[in-house]
Order: sequence, then C-alpha cells, then structure tokens
Amino acid sequence: MEFLFIGFFILSSALILAVPAGRKHLISGIPLLVLLVISSWVAMPAVFSEESSRFLFRIPLTGMKTVVFSIDALSGFFILTVNFNALTTYLFAGTSLAGHLNHHRPIWISVHYLSFLLLHASMLLVCTQQSAFPFLLSWELMTLSSFLLVIFDHTSRTNLKTGINYLVQMHLSMFLLLMAFLVSGEKGSYGFDSLPAFFATHREFPLFLLFFAGFGIKAGMIPFHTWLPDAHPSAPSHVSGFMSGVMIKMGIYGIFRVISAVQHDFLTIGIFVLVISLATGIYGVLQAIVQHDLKKLLAYHSIENIGIIGTGIGLGSIGLATHNKDLALLGFAGGLLHVLNHSLFKSLLFFAAGNVCNATRTRIIDRMGGLAKKMPFTAFFFLLGSLSICGLPPFNGFISEYLLYLGMILNIHQAGFYGSIGLIMAILGLTLIGGLAVFCFTKAFGIAFLGTARSDACKLAVEPPPPSFTGLMLITAMIIAIGFAPVVFVKPLLSAVNATFIPVAPATLTPLLQNLGMISLSGGIFVLLVVGIFLLRRLFSAPRTKSVAPTWACGFHAPSARMQYTATSYADNVAGLSGALVSLNKEMKQISPGEIFPEPANFTSHPVEKLEEWLVNRPFTALRRLLRRIAFLQTGQIRHYILYPFLFLLLIFFLTLLNLL
Amino acid sequence: MTLVSALIIPGIIIRTKSLCSGRKGPALFQPLFDAGVLLRKGVVLSPVTTLVFRIAPSVSLASVLTAVLLVPMGRQDALLSFSADFVYFTYILALGRFFMILAALDTGSSFEGMGANREALYSLLVEPVFLLLLGTYAMFTGYTSFSEIFSHFYFSNNYAFIAGILGFYLLIQIAMVENSRLPVDDPKTHLELTMVHEVMILDYSGPDLAIIHFSTWIKFALYGALVSNSLVPSGWPVALQTGLFLLLQLSFGIIIGLLESFRARNKMTKNPQFILTLTAIALLVFTIMLLSSYMSSK
Amino acid sequence: MEIILLVVFAFSLFYLSMAERFRTYTALIALQGLLLFGLACFRLREMNVANLVFLVTETLLFKAIAVPFLMYRILNRIQVNRVHPDALPGFYALLLTMAGLLLSIFITRRLDGQLIERTFMLIAMLALFTGVILIITHRRIFSHLVGFLVIENAVFLFSLAVGMDAPYLVNIGVLLDIVVSILILGLFMGRIGTRYSDMETDNLADLKH
Repeated sequence: MEFLFIGFFILSSALILAVPAGRKHLISGIPLLVLLVISSWVAMPAVFSEESSRFLFRIPLTGMKTVVFSIDALSGFFILTVNFNALTTYLFAGTSLAGHLNHHRPIWISVHYLSFLLLHASMLLVCTQQSAFPFLLSWELMTLSSFLLVIFDHTSRTNLKTGINYLVQMHLSMFLLLMAFLVSGEKGSYGFDSLPAFFATHREFPLFLLFFAGFGIKAGMIPFHTWLPDAHPSAPSHVSGFMSGVMIKMGIYGIFRVISAVQHDFLTIGIFVLVISLATGIYGVLQAIVQHDLKKLLAYHSIENIGIIGTGIGLGSIGLATHNKDLALLGFAGGLLHVLNHSLFKSLLFFAAGNVCNATRTRIIDRMGGLAKKMPFTAFFFLLGSLSICGLPPFNGFISEYLLYLGMILNIHQAGFYGSIGLIMAILGLTLIGGLAVFCFTKAFGIAFLGTARSDACKLAVEPPPPSFTGLMLITAMIIAIGFAPVVFVKPLLSAVNATFIPVAPATLTPLLQNLGMISLSGGIFVLLVVGIFLLRRLFSAPRTKSVAPTWACGFHAPSARMQYTATSYADNVAGLSGALVSLNKEMKQISPGEIFPEPANFTSHPVEKLEEWLVNRPFTALRRLLRRIAFLQTGQIRHYILYPFLFLLLIFFLTLLNLL
Repeated sequence: MTLVSALIIPGIIIRTKSLCSGRKGPALFQPLFDAGVLLRKGVVLSPVTTLVFRIAPSVSLASVLTAVLLVPMGRQDALLSFSADFVYFTYILALGRFFMILAALDTGSSFEGMGANREALYSLLVEPVFLLLLGTYAMFTGYTSFSEIFSHFYFSNNYAFIAGILGFYLLIQIAMVENSRLPVDDPKTHLELTMVHEVMILDYSGPDLAIIHFSTWIKFALYGALVSNSLVPSGWPVALQTGLFLLLQLSFGIIIGLLESFRARNKMTKNPQFILTLTAIALLVFTIMLLSSYMSSK
Repeated sequence: MEIILLVVFAFSLFYLSMAERFRTYTALIALQGLLLFGLACFRLREMNVANLVFLVTETLLFKAIAVPFLMYRILNRIQVNRVHPDALPGFYALLLTMAGLLLSIFITRRLDGQLIERTFMLIAMLALFTGVILIITHRRIFSHLVGFLVIENAVFLFSLAVGMDAPYLVNIGVLLDIVVSILILGLFMGRIGTRYSDMETDNLADLKH
C-alpha cells in the first residue's frame, strides 16, 4: 500500500522532466498534492487528539531494516505547518518563476521543481524520524535540495558564493549534530529515543549546548546566523519564503525534541536559551533597520522572530524548572504558535516583496516608492504582513506575543527575587523588540509603497495578474482566522504542549482560553469601530467640497520625488543610538575645501554587521594571511610534489630508527 | 466618563498655559467649537496619497476608543477586562500610531517623513517604560488586569508609597511624551523642521483633522484616567468616586498646563536621552518594589 | 521617610550620569550633600552629641556648602563649562548606569545579612558605580573630580548602611580626601591651567618627561 504511494510519487516527479517548461509547474503539483494529503491525513489525529500518543508506521525495506515514521503531537504540528507553507509557496511559485522561464534551460527548471519537492519531502522526513541516521540523512537532503533552490539564479557570482557559504555552514551544523548523536547513544541505538537514558546519567547542559549549536545554525540564532542574510536575497522569493517560513523552523523542532528529553537541568538551559534568544531578537531587528535591501531586511527579521520563538522556549523551560505549569504551558505554546504565525506572515512578506522586486527590477528600498498605487494588491498583502509581524492586534502576531506576555505577567508575582528580575528583563526585551519592529516596518512599507516613485523603473511597475494571488489569499485567510478566532487554534496547541512536555495532570486551560476569547471580542469591536468611524466621516464629508491639491511643500513650487525622506535617513536615528552593534560604512569622494568648480562626487553606504565582521570576516582574513605564507610550497610542479612524500617517508624512517615513533 | 473628561481637558490645558503666560486665553470649550467648524469643512487631498492616508484617522480614533474600553474608572471594572490587558492596551495604541506614521510617509513630503521618523523613535523608547511600570504593579499586587491592579493598589508601607508617587510621576511623563507635548515636542511650534506630531498631520483637513483631534484628546484623557485611578480610594460610594475622578482629571489638565508653561523644549538630539531617563526611573521603581517584597526583618 | 531621600538621591545619580554642564554637576553635588545630611540625621539620632555635631558639620558644612562653593569659584575662573565633546554621550552613560543598577541589585542580594540595611547598601552601590562610570567615560578633570566626590558620598552611605557609628578615623579620612581633591583641582586650575586651557587629562601624559 505504501509502496503504491511512493511509486506514484516518484513517477509523477519523473514526469516533470518530460514536460515542456510551461507545463512543469502544473505537473509538479501532482506529487506535491499527494505528499500533502497523505502527511496531513496522518498528522491531524496526532495533533488534535487529547492524550499524548505516537503513531508509528513501519515500512520494511530490503534486508532487515525497517523505516520507522513516528508522529506525535509536536511532529504533527510541524508537519501541518510545513504542508500549508508548501501549498502556498507552490501557488506563488508560478508567478515568481514566470519571468525566469526563458532565461534558463528546461533541465534546470526541472531540477528546481524536483528540489522543491525533495525539500518538502525531506522536511516531512525530518519531523518524523527519531533514529539518528535517518534523521541526519533527511537533514542532509534538506540542505542539498535547498542549496539547489538557492542557487537558481546561478549566473550571478554573488549568488553562487552565498549559496556555497550556506552549504558549508549547513554541513558544519550536520557535523555538530552527528557528534552530538554519537556522544549520546550507544552502539545500535542512536537518536532522540536514547536521549532520556543519557540525560538520566550524565550532565545535560554540555550535550544540550552541542545540539543547540547544531540546530541553532539552521535556525539562525546568533552567533550562528551569518548565512541567513546572505542566502535569502540571493534566492528567488518563493524559495526565500519557503526557507524562511519553515526550513529554519526545523532547527527549532530539533531544539524542542532535545528539551522534551531533558529531565532536571531545565533552569540552566532555560536561562541560556532565554538570554541568547533575547539577544538574537534585538540584534536581528537592529540590523534589519539599517538595511538598504528589502529582502535582506526581511531575512534579518526572520532572525528576530527566531529570537522571539526562542524566548518562548526559554520561558517554558524556566517554567518547567520552577514547577510553574502556567509559565511552561504558555511559554512553549507561545513559541509554537509563533512558529506557525511566522511561517504565515514571513512567507506573505517574502512573496509580496518578490512581486515588488520582480516588477521594479531592484531590491533596494531607496529606489522604490509609490508602489501602492501601481500594485495595490501587493501593497495590501505587504501591509497585512507588516501589521502581523509587528505583533499588532487584531492579527495573529499579537496572539503569540500575548501568550508569552501572559506567561510572564501571570508569574511575576510569585517568581522570587531573581525570577522577578529575569521576567522584568524579558518583558523589557520583548517590548523593545516590538517597538523596533514597528520602526522597521513603517520604514519598509512606507518608503517602498507610499509617497512618489524614486526611480524610473518604479514608475513602470506592473502587478502580476490576480489569479496569481491564490496562495497569498490563503495565507491572509489564515492570518485573519488566527487573529480573530485564536481559541480555535490555541486550544489544540495547548493540549498538545501539555501532553508532550508537562508530565503532570493537565492544567486548567479554561481561564487562559477565556482571555483569548476577550481578545477576539476586542478585535471585533475594533474593526466595527473602524468601519463605523470611516462611514461617519464619509457622511460628514459627502455634502462638502472635495478638492485635490499637492502636498504642502513649505511654499516650494517644484518638489521632486528625491526630496522625500529616504530609507537611510529614516533609519539614521536608531542607527546612531545603536552604534555599538550596527554600523553604516560610508565611502565618499568629498568635495575638498579649496575646490571652486567641483567635480562629480559620489557617496555609497553599506551596512556592516558587527558580529559577522568579528566572527567570520576577520578570522578568515587572518587565516588567509597565515596560509599565504605557506603558499610557497605550492609550486605547481610535479617533481616537487613527489619530493614532499619522499621527504615524509625519510622522516618516518629516521624517526623509527631512533625509536621516537 | 473618560470621554466626558476628554471633552474638557484640552480646553483646560490651553487656558492654563495662557493664564501662566499672562494672557486671558480662549474659552474652555473653544477646542470643541473648532472641531465643529472642522467637521463642517470640505476635504483637500493630495494626489500622492492612497487609501492608507484616508483610513488612518479612523483607525487611530478606533484604536483609542478600544483602549478606552479597557481602562477602569475609579473602582468600577472596565468594560473589557482580561489578564494582561495592559499589553493589549499598549499594542492597540501602537496600531493607531503605526497607521498615523504610514499616513505621514504617504504624503511624500520630507517634513512628514522627519516627523514620522522621530515619532517612531520616541514611541519605541517609551513603550518599555509603560510596560515596566505596569509589570511592577502586577508584581506588587499579584493581579494582572487594569481593573484589578488599581483596585488593589494599597499603600501598605513606605516603599509602596514612594513607588506610587514615582509611578504617578512616570505616568504623567509618559503621557507628555506619548501625546507629543513639551519637553519632547512643542504643540504650538509650526516650524516644519522642529515638529514631531504636528507635522505628521500637516496634510489633513476637514473631518479627518477633527477625527485626529478627537483621538488626541481622548488619548490624553486616557492617561489622565490611569493617573486618577491610582489615587481614588476604593471604599467610597459610586457617585463620590465619579466626582473625585472628574476632579482629578481636571487637576491633571491643570498640572499638564503648568508643566508645559514652565519648561523649555529639549534639544532634538537630547530627546532619546530624556526618554531613557524615564526607563531608568521605571527600573528604580521596580527595584524599590522588589526590595519591599523581599525586605529582611529590619 | 529615609526611602524618599534615598530615591531622590538615586534620581540625582541618574541625572548626574547624563548631565553635560558643569554647573549642573555642582548643583547636584550640593543636593547630594543636603540629602546625606538628612539621612544622617534620621539614622544616627541616638548617638552622643559630639558625634552628631561632627557629622552635621561634615555633611552640611563640607559636602553641601563648602565644596560646591569652591567648585563654583573655580568654574567662574575658567572658560570651560561643559563636558568634552568627545566624551561618551549621555545615552550610553545612562545605559551603563542602568546596568550598574542591576549589578547593585545582585550584589546587595548576595551580601544580605542581619546587620546591613538593604536599601542603603543598594543606593550606595549605585553611587559607587555612577562615580566610577563618570571617571572612566569623561575626559575633563572637573568631571573626574565630580566622580570622586560621588564615590565619597557612596562611602558615607556605606557607613550608614552598616549601621554602626562611623569611627572618627573614617570620617577624618573622608574629609582629608575631599580637601586633597580640592587642592589638586585648584593646582590644576592655577598652575597647569594657564598652560593647558582645555582641562583634558590626556594632556597630563605629556608632562611625563
């Protein structure tokens, strides 16, 4: 039975190679749907059932090995998130790739679709494998397929370089995970199942650190995040949306798995994760503020949101450590809900940004402007995404942040001396992250979409045809559903978290859910008020005169588009205040004081990320300098290369002779 | 109740300021009459603006009204109340502000961009102060909703008393920063390069401008309500509570007028520092509450 | 009641870390002197008369009146009125002071005991950190003097925190420190000031050889 499905899947994927480029999109939908339907059908009962259960499927392969798929509530939740995101990405990919079909050979397009399917399948595999080697195999498949997706536009050298950077870092993460699994298991059984036994007898924190490093590289926690901001702009937008939406959450999934096996060291782990996540959040959003490139800005925001998810994990851990059921429940649930929310609004943002970048042929915000008039639908989606990512009610971002705040505030009274300080600092951190996100997205949306066009390419921007928005509409529907009816989504989530993490009797969920009910009510009232006031205003101004006049320019008669505020000036405020973490390198050719007839001058600024500078660029430059000294050994002549092993053999001979070896 | 006081506070502020500078000042209800005039005027729109510009005042007013529903009056419960609702309060006001900033950027004018930028920065610095303060109150009283926090805020010992006074001071300062008054922003200056909030609404006219004025007044009264709430004792009958509440709102208006008359505007680059001072004081309040909860026997 | 004085003291510390004019510094030092006088009166009511008189003289006369007066005299004589333009901006100094507040909370908790009055200890620690931050992040010698005076106030608060009557020797030591610092400042103004009008301590390095 299972073989039938697998066979069908493989056949339909192979069919992609056979059809012409225009039809590839449609055909690749078939295996995608197959995978989607099967995995969702299997995952649903795992998520929505009340007790903790684990569904196992065994598929016997040749020989003695069987492939075991195990799905419990946590995996089920991640599977559903991955599926939804894959569906919407697929729906959007048609538009996104439409312009590129002529630039690449058909075989490369097939490879692209096949890699997409492979990425989807490998993510589902990652979520279901408990044993170490299949897990690592799926992890590797994930890396390879996403690498192929990222370097879709391989004609540009920068893209190739960032793709290879990504590949190398992912292999580093796999190496760390391999070491972690080898240390934690014994011969014959490596994997997540052997973790509880290991934790019972050894100290938990060092192994956790190893896992955290491996999974953190994938997730984008600092200081492991340096691949993210480079890989996302290079990739086409649907790939960025997919990767940023769900692939980096696989790292979070891994961290959740490890924590569910931990038994007593929750406090250290919790505080560690909390501190790193808050730092990730603040650092990510500070870097996002100074970016010129729209997609890089969104990539840094992914880092920030991973920070928020990590804060939830840290808080949940601390809750488990202090036997605080509310904090643990709300922390983990908030983190998980934010996983879902982030996949929704980040993919929405990336897709809308993709439309914009395709239409204006540029990624730089300072060259855009006035796009809301030319591309109204895209502007609407981007606005919706911005409102959600800033955590503003009544949309879904607020719900997950609210869960985190609720956990913190419910417990601040009983938290003890150090606990209160920690919770207050966490509240301060989350609020700061929220405020900075508002700052950043008013800049991104305001400069790119509002005002007047700042470049010629922008004036000719055209929106893709409406049928291409199906994917985006689906995401919008989900965002509004979670925002206005959070109880429907949070209830199964809370019971899933309860079952997986909290080994005690279920806590009372009703008061928590009641609060969410009130939030929906407030959201509804708010929307009614907006509509009401707008209609009233219409009423008041209907019989009056309506005239059109240009924007007030202080009496100046020839305002131009270049007089508007630019993104760099907008970000200058905050960049000045946070100079220790963020810097804008400015290179300019200045006009000298004695110059009477100035020659053309120029000015460029580009943001420099301090962590990347100190952790990656400088060590590697130093390493290269060191290696250059030894480079004289590489002469290029064969006879020298034969001399070296000969000398080595002589050395070994003499050392053995002298009994030193 | 809050809405009623909203109608009269701006008049009081302007009157107090004028009296302090030696003039007689306009009538107390003059701002209302001005708003009425505005409602009867026509609308002038710039061709650069989009739907965001048209919808922003309505969103702003709606967000402030929703926030009003969350704040209790005296010792009565608010109309909408749930755990950690002050988080919702902060974020919905942020939503209104988000749209106003976008509307300012929508006009394509450099002045409005400047004002939007500064407004975004100051609000990002002042939000943590508010949440810190309320988090400290939640820690002290053990309750998490506005209504409950204010009903149970007793001055049990010296420490709580001084924390209450400091909290009172902080709320007034937060109100001044959020509503763009001195010393962060001067509402009377109309030099484009120095305005913060006023420049964001430079291009609005007619009913839109009236709506914006309403939302500004209500926001003021909102913070006044928060301040008055911490001072109204709980055991009194309802009518007396209402009366005291109104009285406190009026005196809040007078205090703001006085504070504004005797202060000069900060240098623009010193504003972030000033707002950071508020965070420092909020941390101090937290420290005092922390110490009072965990004092040794001395 | 003491808590109010301590809170105003903490206010003055925050304001000190972000202020930029020297006259503001002087006014704040005078305020701190007055607050310490009030605190001393409250804490050490039950002492003998001689000690009380000594304490009153020390705080009121010296810290609140004499030292600020001398500082005003010096300010009137020289042209320099503000912090050096290259010094760390007030924003960061305030951030550092807030970090100092957190550190003080932790240290006070660790040092907890029956003999120590917690709030005094906390504010004393905060004053110590503020003084050190002032000295490290500023470049003109006047700011260093102010930082030094703040550290002296912190020592006084520490002695109040511990709760015993400060022995005579400690108080005389504090007085001596203050006198010596004023002397050095005067020397700097008088002799060296005529050569280096900038009041930068970096210039002192030139005097090495």
